[in-house]
Amino acid sequence: MTKGTVSIQTDRCKGCGLCIQACPQHVLTLADTLNARGYHHVQLDERDGHCTGCGICAIVCPDVAFTVYREPLRRAA
Amino acid sequence: MTRELWKGNEALAEAAVRAGVDAFFGYPITPQTELLEYMARRMPELGRTFLQAESEIGAINMVYGAACAGVRAMTSSSSPGISLMQEGLSYIAGSEVPCVLVDIMRGGPGLGNIQPGQGDYFQVTRSAGHGDFHPIVLAPSTVQEAVDLTYLSFDLAFRYRTIVIIAGDGALGQMMEPVEMPPMREPTVDRPDWALSGTAGRAPRIITSLYLDAEELERTNLRLQEKLHAIHTTEQNWESYQTEDAEWLVVAFGTVGRIAKSAVRAARGAGIRAGLFRPISLWPYPEAALDELIERVQGVLVVEMNAGQMLEDVRAIVQGRVPVRFLGRMGGVIPLPDEISAELAHMARMHQRGNGFGSQHRAAERSKIL
Repeated sequence: MTKGTVSIQTDRCKGCGLCIQACPQHVLTLADTLNARGYHHVQLDERDGHCTGCGICAIVCPDVAFTVYREPLRRAA
Repeated sequence: MTRELWKGNEALAEAAVRAGVDAFFGYPITPQTELLEYMARRMPELGRTFLQAESEIGAINMVYGAACAGVRAMTSSSSPGISLMQEGLSYIAGSEVPCVLVDIMRGGPGLGNIQPGQGDYFQVTRSAGHGDFHPIVLAPSTVQEAVDLTYLSFDLAFRYRTIVIIAGDGALGQMMEPVEMPPMREPTVDRPDWALSGTAGRAPRIITSLYLDAEELERTNLRLQEKLHAIHTTEQNWESYQTEDAEWLVVAFGTVGRIAKSAVRAARGAGIRAGLFRPISLWPYPEAALDELIERVQGVLVVEMNAGQMLEDVRAIVQGRVPVRFLGRMGGVIPLPDEISAELAHMARMHQRGNGFGSQHRAAERSKIL
């Protein structure tokens, strides 16, 4: 499994929660704090480093808030 | 034409631009702000007027002034802002000048929150201000429908010299959906024959809502009522979904209307003959069409994002012929298809047992549970 991470432009987020539903690794949650537009925005819970950088969040996000980073798979020797 | 991905608020703004809006005055308020932001960018591009007012009260009075000059004027806001605009709306109605107002409803009362709501139903359909009048109120359930209704709204406003309100909610305003935009209309240069366009070469005209003489004001009101009657008979608009053989009828508008569609499909999957009646014009309410459906169903379920406002209109039409049940969520909570289909299943079950299901108020039951 690859390792990855996402950076989130939280001010674009309206807290619709589509990415939370779609994330196969369950690493996205809604923040307790509000963004500049007044919505509880999504955040990455990276405690255990379970994000694989699959990019499904970025595909379902209607507001294009995600940037996905994925560690390339190393080729065998 | 191609379909493009648009955010509800921005799509509404572009539809108004393509319908030929000459002047936009507004004041930001979530969840409507993107509409204003889009106009701030787009209107100057086209050499048209955009002005951010000092408040909603300022905005609606600027709309009043521009409308008196016979141009296509509009504003947009969300629930608390619409409350502030009520005085201006009443003056506009009394003066019989046309304008378009977009209300992207949020949770109330008071400042409430910025989540979607439908608690403005009374506010927009009953009069939206003091005195005897009703604006035309249109409630889209998809971004495409919002675009199509906005595109037509100026024609309606000018035909009847009235206020047209597009009543959406926070979900619709923030939602992104594929939309086919209508073609750009040429801006109209001819001003109507009542417009205040300068007295060069003609007699002065007066637009006012002040009639100190009682009989004159009554005559004005009677004329207004005649116009409202004409609107009432010709502008009723609705969608019926799977109602041909329906035994259980869901009545819902706007965002809830489209959610209820999924619920109707789910209920049919479970063997319950459900159908949906979705009013598109909230005023005039599509009375005749609903009245005709009531004759053929066992019961009605009204679903709204409020404590039961359209419910009163539905009850007035049903007049006790069949039981009416209500499911409402408030505070920005959106009812889910499962909740609605569970309610339909409950109604069908109670009917089978011969218990009837009364017309209990769901909110009252809920508070008992809580």
